[in-house]
Amino acid sequence: MIFYIARRLLAALPTLWAVLTLVFVLVRIVPGDPAAAILGDRATPAAVAALQTKLGLDKPIWEQYVAFLAQSARGDFGVSMVTNRPILADVGAVIPHTIDLTLAAMVIGIVVGIPAGVWAALYRNRAIDIAARLLSLLGLSFPVFVSGIFLLLAFALHWRIFPVIGNANLADPADRLLKLVLPSITLGLVMAAYITRVTRSSMLSVLDEDYMRTARAKGVPWKRVVWRHGLRNAGLPVVTVVGLYIGILIGNSVLTEIVFNRPGLGKIIVGALNQRDYTMLQGLMVIYCFLIVVVNLVTDLAYGFIDPRVKQA
Amino acid sequence: MKFRHILLAATLLAAPLAPAHAAKTDLIVGMAAQDVGKLDPHLAVSTIDRTVVAWLFNGLVRFKPGSMSPADIEPDLAASWDASADKKVWTFKLRPGVKFHGAYGELTADDVVYSLQRAADPKRSASSGDFASFEKVEAVDPLTVRITLKQTIPSLLGIITNYGGGFIVSKKAAEEMGDSFNAHPVGTGPFAFAANTPNQSLELVAHKAYFRGAPKIEKISYRYLPANASRDLAFQNGELDLEFGNQDQTWVDRMKKLPGAVVDVFEPGEEAILHLNAAQKPLDDLRVRQAIAYAINRPELIKFQGADVSRQPGSVIPIGNLGYVDAGLPGNDIAKAKALLAEAGFKDGLTLKVVHTQLPNMLAQMQVVQAQLKRAGINLDLQVVEHATYHQMIRQDLSAIVFYSAARFPVADVYLTQFYHSRSTVKTPTAVANFSHCTAADAEIDAARTEPDGAKQIALWQAAQKKIVAQMCAVPLIETLQAWVHKDNLVYGYDLKGSLSLGPIINETTHFK
Repeated sequence: MIFYIARRLLAALPTLWAVLTLVFVLVRIVPGDPAAAILGDRATPAAVAALQTKLGLDKPIWEQYVAFLAQSARGDFGVSMVTNRPILADVGAVIPHTIDLTLAAMVIGIVVGIPAGVWAALYRNRAIDIAARLLSLLGLSFPVFVSGIFLLLAFALHWRIFPVIGNANLADPADRLLKLVLPSITLGLVMAAYITRVTRSSMLSVLDEDYMRTARAKGVPWKRVVWRHGLRNAGLPVVTVVGLYIGILIGNSVLTEIVFNRPGLGKIIVGALNQRDYTMLQGLMVIYCFLIVVVNLVTDLAYGFIDPRVKQA
Repeated sequence: MKFRHILLAATLLAAPLAPAHAAKTDLIVGMAAQDVGKLDPHLAVSTIDRTVVAWLFNGLVRFKPGSMSPADIEPDLAASWDASADKKVWTFKLRPGVKFHGAYGELTADDVVYSLQRAADPKRSASSGDFASFEKVEAVDPLTVRITLKQTIPSLLGIITNYGGGFIVSKKAAEEMGDSFNAHPVGTGPFAFAANTPNQSLELVAHKAYFRGAPKIEKISYRYLPANASRDLAFQNGELDLEFGNQDQTWVDRMKKLPGAVVDVFEPGEEAILHLNAAQKPLDDLRVRQAIAYAINRPELIKFQGADVSRQPGSVIPIGNLGYVDAGLPGNDIAKAKALLAEAGFKDGLTLKVVHTQLPNMLAQMQVVQAQLKRAGINLDLQVVEHATYHQMIRQDLSAIVFYSAARFPVADVYLTQFYHSRSTVKTPTAVANFSHCTAADAEIDAARTEPDGAKQIALWQAAQKKIVAQMCAVPLIETLQAWVHKDNLVYGYDLKGSLSLGPIINETTHFK
């Protein structure tokens, strides 16, 4: 197992290198000069030139690239061009919030989405199925900045149960949980909608399988047939979706973070992009990439857990 | 039943969030920001950074709190000053016993010399351009500083006020910390840096040894809340005492209706101006530039933005600047605009390629302008790009018209020099923000800068504005004021009419009722 994980991590290295190169090139292709962005519109060309020299932006591109790769290999992400704060410290301060939100949204998505998908499949084309499909369609089409504001209006302003400002105190578990409820519901419902749809279609494809009928004929209770035999076989596509979606959630929860005033990785990425904070963007992308690789690895390991044939292969 | 229990438990958990009614000492501010960028006062340029820096630092002199009129400049770290007859040598006596934050000791002339030299150094300052006329700054004794100028300038006090390069930092702290001074600023102001949680908030504490007395507010939490809607909801929910607002009427009206909310609308007015690029065809033809001016309908723009937060400009520099004059801007006259276009050979109208930002406020205003110009047959082909890209492209001289909204230090020289002097033309080594390639008033702007007689100086600035309008280098559109909102139990301790930091000044007198 350890050998397998190590092999997978090694195999991710070329991907990581390709992404690093792409990020390095992309942030520089985008027009807009970091030095000018930092110094504002009153700065003289001399001041802009001086800052470019200080930031190393006047060096040849290849030299910047080599330095960047060497730094990344050492795990040294340097300091933000704008704030002069170490990038790892900034990321370290927000990553617990991002992980909280991602995990909570995932749990809500699974707890709501899988049963809803299974029921919808079992009652195909009946009221439950239609309701589940409609609700999942609604979940997918409602942008989080609208559903988030609705939740805030109801639960923060009207009933005053939750605060509007969601920057939780990490040292206080109650505060952390309280401020997680609304954002995780907002994001979790979108995920639940996805999972419902995938689970439903996946379940439909296994319900008519021979082994299902055989199990039923052997006298296994129907509930057990569905959840043990059916769902386990229908589980692979669901795990794939969950895995993919976690990757998306880590970076794309930015809208939820903004609406609920939560700190997070997505918000830092947007801020760094606006400021043309090259070093911050590069550091964030490396970390993000690493997280995606880890999530993919965990997804692959989960395949083996659900379906032993995958492990043998 | 179960749901009720959950609801009750949740309500109990939320109980500490209910607003306290006893006199508070903690101020919570909501700012439209992802994070602070520069807390080094010599590098702070965004509204986000400037607002806070003004609470942390002092200048040798300051604008009276609540004002940004050069007539209201008063002593700050300097107790008194005098100037030589030719106004080239200025001597400042420092206030004794002024303490820096933390363990950085007392302010001396060395700190002032170091700070002003640092502010003049393009490698360490965004305001170095303001110090071009400084010959030397020296410490005469521990409490006396002498500034020698190369030539007389319109307002030396303006440069050393509590704005931009005028802020005084602790020499010891800045030297000790180097680049990280930006993240741990040390000044003499009423509040001191305590902590910054990335992406969340900046925490400040009262500087108990502040030379004007210990502030009544003990802590300030400056929260980064970029989404306007949820920042407003947080204010409405009692989670904020003071909030950065939107410069539009709908927002002002909505906030005014909230119980216990006081909307602050104050100077400076940021003047939005169309800079017409006379180096490009067909804008090299004065008649085409005049046609654009006649096609603009300023009252309509004010109606769009809101009467409470905007006003009609009267010149190519903002109202209230020292030296401002009503320069006689052309009024809205579509027939005249069309006639001028026909005379210039564009009977069937023309199309201009314009680079513009996607920032919502500026884009909306530009779309109104686009509709107005269309009535005269002038089509604006808007190339909408991301804001940093827009800044880069307009400085590369890539746009026929540049829509630019700005406020500057309120002395005519600054705006005139930066936007209309040929030395400031974009894509030249001395470029600042002359997007129109204007050369109409170089002589007047230069003469005014060294004119010792105040009245003559103002006359020169006024003549310059009239010449710029006559040449139609730029078409003023609208002036938009700053808009914030605070709880009625928060008392600033002064009358807020203007603030060059673009946010309310929080000082030792600010308190909760």
